Amino acid sequence: MRTLLRRLLWVLLVVWATTTLTFFVTAVLPGDPARLVAGPSAGPAQIEAIRRELGLDRPPLFRYGLFLRRLVHTRGHASHQSCQPLVWGVHVDLGQSVRFRQPVLGLVASRLPRTLLLAFAAVCLQLAFGIPLGALAAARRGTWLDTGAVGATLLGASVPTFLLGPLLQFLFAYELQLLPLDGYGTTPLEHAACLVLPALTLGIVGSAGFTRLARSELMTVLAQDHVRTARAKGLGEVAVVFRHGVRVALGPLVTAAGLELGGLVGGAMVTESVFRWPGLGQLSVQAALGRDSPLLSGIVLVSSATIALLTLLVDLSYRWLDPRQR
Amino acid sequence: MMDSILTSKVLPRALVLAASALLLFGACRSRLAAPFPPDHGDNSVPLPGGTLSLASATDLRSLDPALAADAVAQPILLLLFDGLVDYDLQGAFIPSLASRWELADQGLTYRFWLRPGVRFHDGSELTAHDIARSIQRMLHPATPSPFKGFYASLQDVVVEGLYLVAMHLREPDTTFLHVLAQPAARPVCPDALDRSRDTWVPCGTGPFRLQHWERGVALRLVRHDAYFRPGLPHLDAISYRFNFHPVTQRLAFEAGELDLLHDLTQADLTRFRSDPRWIPLGAAEVAHTVVGESLNTELPPFDSVEVRRAVAAAIDREQYRLLKPGQLVAANQPVPPGVPGHEPNLVGQTYNLDAALEHMKRAGYPYDPSSQQGGYPHPIPYLSSHEGLSETTAQLLQQQLAKIGLRLQLKVASWPAFLAATHRRRTVAASPQGWSLDFPDASDFLGPLFGSAAIQDDDSTNTSFFRHTGLDDLLVRARRELDATRRRALFAEASAIVCDEAPWAFTYYYRSYEVRQGYVRGYVPHPIWTSHVAEAWIDRSDRRLPRR
Repeated sequence: MRTLLRRLLWVLLVVWATTTLTFFVTAVLPGDPARLVAGPSAGPAQIEAIRRELGLDRPPLFRYGLFLRRLVHTRGHASHQSCQPLVWGVHVDLGQSVRFRQPVLGLVASRLPRTLLLAFAAVCLQLAFGIPLGALAAARRGTWLDTGAVGATLLGASVPTFLLGPLLQFLFAYELQLLPLDGYGTTPLEHAACLVLPALTLGIVGSAGFTRLARSELMTVLAQDHVRTARAKGLGEVAVVFRHGVRVALGPLVTAAGLELGGLVGGAMVTESVFRWPGLGQLSVQAALGRDSPLLSGIVLVSSATIALLTLLVDLSYRWLDPRQR
Repeated sequence: MMDSILTSKVLPRALVLAASALLLFGACRSRLAAPFPPDHGDNSVPLPGGTLSLASATDLRSLDPALAADAVAQPILLLLFDGLVDYDLQGAFIPSLASRWELADQGLTYRFWLRPGVRFHDGSELTAHDIARSIQRMLHPATPSPFKGFYASLQDVVVEGLYLVAMHLREPDTTFLHVLAQPAARPVCPDALDRSRDTWVPCGTGPFRLQHWERGVALRLVRHDAYFRPGLPHLDAISYRFNFHPVTQRLAFEAGELDLLHDLTQADLTRFRSDPRWIPLGAAEVAHTVVGESLNTELPPFDSVEVRRAVAAAIDREQYRLLKPGQLVAANQPVPPGVPGHEPNLVGQTYNLDAALEHMKRAGYPYDPSSQQGGYPHPIPYLSSHEGLSETTAQLLQQQLAKIGLRLQLKVASWPAFLAATHRRRTVAASPQGWSLDFPDASDFLGPLFGSAAIQDDDSTNTSFFRHTGLDDLLVRARRELDATRRRALFAEASAIVCDEAPWAFTYYYRSYEVRQGYVRGYVPHPIWTSHVAEAWIDRSDRRLPRR
C-alpha cells in the first residue's frame, strides 16, 4: 500500500514536471499566438487587442500561476467559463484554447477516448502479429522461417506510417472499396470500420519491435532447464513454446506493450492525420502549429497522466504475472 | 543474431522500395475515374433536395463573422450570413438585405432601406436595430475582431426607422460599401448580443443554418426554410470535412463522396486539366492573391533603390509560374488581375537580365557574369517558411539572383516565427510575402503593403518598410475620390511608383482551380467569392453507383 502511494506521488510529480516544461517551452517559443489568431491582414491595434483579450500581455510566470490556481479548485471561478465540475464539488479547468476559442477540457475529453481506442487496438494488433512471429522465429531458429520473420520485422520497422497509411488506404479503401477511406463515422459500426486501417498501420509498423523482443526473450527461455524438462516429458513443441516459453517471457512483453500504449496515447500524430482520425495526435499538431499554449499544456497534462498511470499499471501487473516478483 | 540481420538487410530494403513503387504507381495512375454524369441532360430547372459534400485540407477556427479570419471560413460565412449588399457575377453591387441604398451629404452618409419580412434562423425578424447592433458588436472593445481597422472611417450608425438605417462617415470613403459587403459586420441573430462571446452559436439570415459542428473535424449546414429569396436554397444540406489530406480528398472525390475538389496537388491538377472528360467540369477563379519577394528598404543592400530594381529585373517569373502552372500567373504589378485597379496596360516589373546588371552597376556593385567577379560583397540573409511554395521559391530566387551577383543565405523558420520576424522592423533583409483580397479594391493591396501609415515596429503589414510621400498622397486622394475614372487613374499612378521603386519584386498571382462532379449544377465561379455554393443544386438521385 505504501509502495502504491509512493508510486502515485511519483505520477503526480512526473505529470507536473512535463506540464510545466510544456507551458514554459510554448511560452518562450518565437511566434505570437495573437498574430496567428488575427490572420495576416489584421493591423497592429487589432493584434494588440487580441493579445490583451487572450491574456498574452501578462508575463509567462503570471500566466503559469493562473493556470495552476484554476487547474483544480472547489468553486466555479467567475473570471472564466472554461470550468467543468468533476466530483464532490471539485472543479477542473484547463483554460481556454486560443485557437478553437473553446474550453481545453472539453476538447481533450472528446478526443481522448478515440485516441485510447486507436492506441489499444493498435497495441493488440502489434502483439497479435509480433508474438506468434517471434515465437516461430525462436522455435525455428536459424531456418528460412527465422530469416523470413526477422526480415519481415525489419521491413515493418523501416516502413514509415506516412507511407504505409496511404498504401493501405489506396489498396483497401480506393481499389477494393472494402473499408472507408478515413474519418471516424457516426455510428458504432462505422467507428469500427474506420478504426481498421489506422490500427492496422500502427499495428504493422509497431509489431516489428515485439517480434524481435519475443524472439530474443524466447530464445533465452527455451534454453532454460524447465523447458528441457517439459520437452523431456514428451510435450508437443507448440505446447512447450507457448505454455512454458511465452508465459515466462510475457513480463518484458507486457512492459513493452505498456510503454508502446503510452507512446501512442502521446502521439500517433502522423497516422491520425493521414486517416483524419479525430484524436489527440491530430489536435496536438494543430495546437503546436497555432502556438496554442493552453491547449498544448492540456494535452500534455492529460497524455502524460495517462502514460504515467499506464506505466504504474504495467508495473503492478508484472508482480501478478511473474511469481518471482511477489 | 546481429550478423544474420546484417546479411539479410538487402532483401527488406528492396521490398520497401517495391512497396513505395507500388504506392507511387497507384497514386500516379494516369487515368482518373470518369465523372458521374447528371441524371438529366437539361439543366434549366433546378431540382430541390440533396446534400452537397465539401472538404478542406485546413481547419476552421471560428464561425463568428466578427472574428473568423481563416480563408476556409469565408465560403461558410457567406452561407450563414447575408450582407446589406452583395456582388453579382460581374462583381457589381446588388441589393441583398437592403432593397436599395443612397449616398448623401457629398459621400458622408450611406442610407439603407431594408427588405421587410426577412427572418433570422431563430425566427425573429430583421430590423434596422439588428444592422446597428451587429456593426457595434463587431466594433465593441471586448470583441477581438481583426477587421475593425476597415471601419476606421465610420463615425456612427443611426436607426432612422424600423427598416431604415443610416451610416455616417468621418470623410468620404469609397471603400466603405465594399467593406460592408464583407462578412465581418453582417447581421447576426439577437442572441449574439452586443459583443462577441465564445459560447455563441453562429446564427444569421443566410440561406443555410448551422446544424452541427465538431471542431477540427466536420460541420453540417441545413436549409433555412424561411429564407427571404423565394425558391432558394435548392439544397437540403451542405457538409464540410476539415483537415482532409488533398490526396485523400481526390480519392473520395473520384468515389463520389465529395462533390467539389478545391485542394489539388500539382500532380492531380495536371491530371484534371489534361483529361478531356474533366476539363468542362473544372474552372479557375480569377486571381485575388499577389506574392512577391519583399525587400526591406531599411536594411542593406535593399536600402538602395537600384539594387531593388536589379532584383525586380533579375527574376524570371516564368520559372515561378512553372512550379504550379494552372494556379500561378506571372506577376508584374501589385494589384492582382481579379481586383479592380489591376492595369492590363501597365508594363510593370519584367524579366530583363541586362537591365538588372545595369542596375547593379549603378548601385555600385558591378557584376561580370562570365568571370563571376564583383557583385554585392556580403551574403544577404533571406528568411522563408514552410508555408506554401516559399521553400521552393527561395531556392529559385537564390539561383536567379546569383546571376547578378547577389548571394542569398537561405534560412527557414516555422510559420509563427516567420510572421513575427518578417513583420518586425530592421530584422529581416528579404522574405517571400503574399497578400489576399479583403475587399475588392486596389487600396486593399497598396495601402497595407506599401503605405507609410502601415509601418509599425512590430506586426507591420508593410514588410518592406517602404516610405514614399508621393505614393502616400495618391492613396489619400484615391480614398476620397468619388469619381471612378479619376480614382482608377490615381491607382494606376500608385502601381507604377511601386513597380519602379520595387519594395517588392512581384513574382506570381495565385488563383485556385476547382473541379466539380458532373451532377453539381448551378455552380459558377464568382468573381469575388471563393467556392460560393449558395445556389448550387444536385442532379443525381442515386449517389452510390458502382464506378469501375
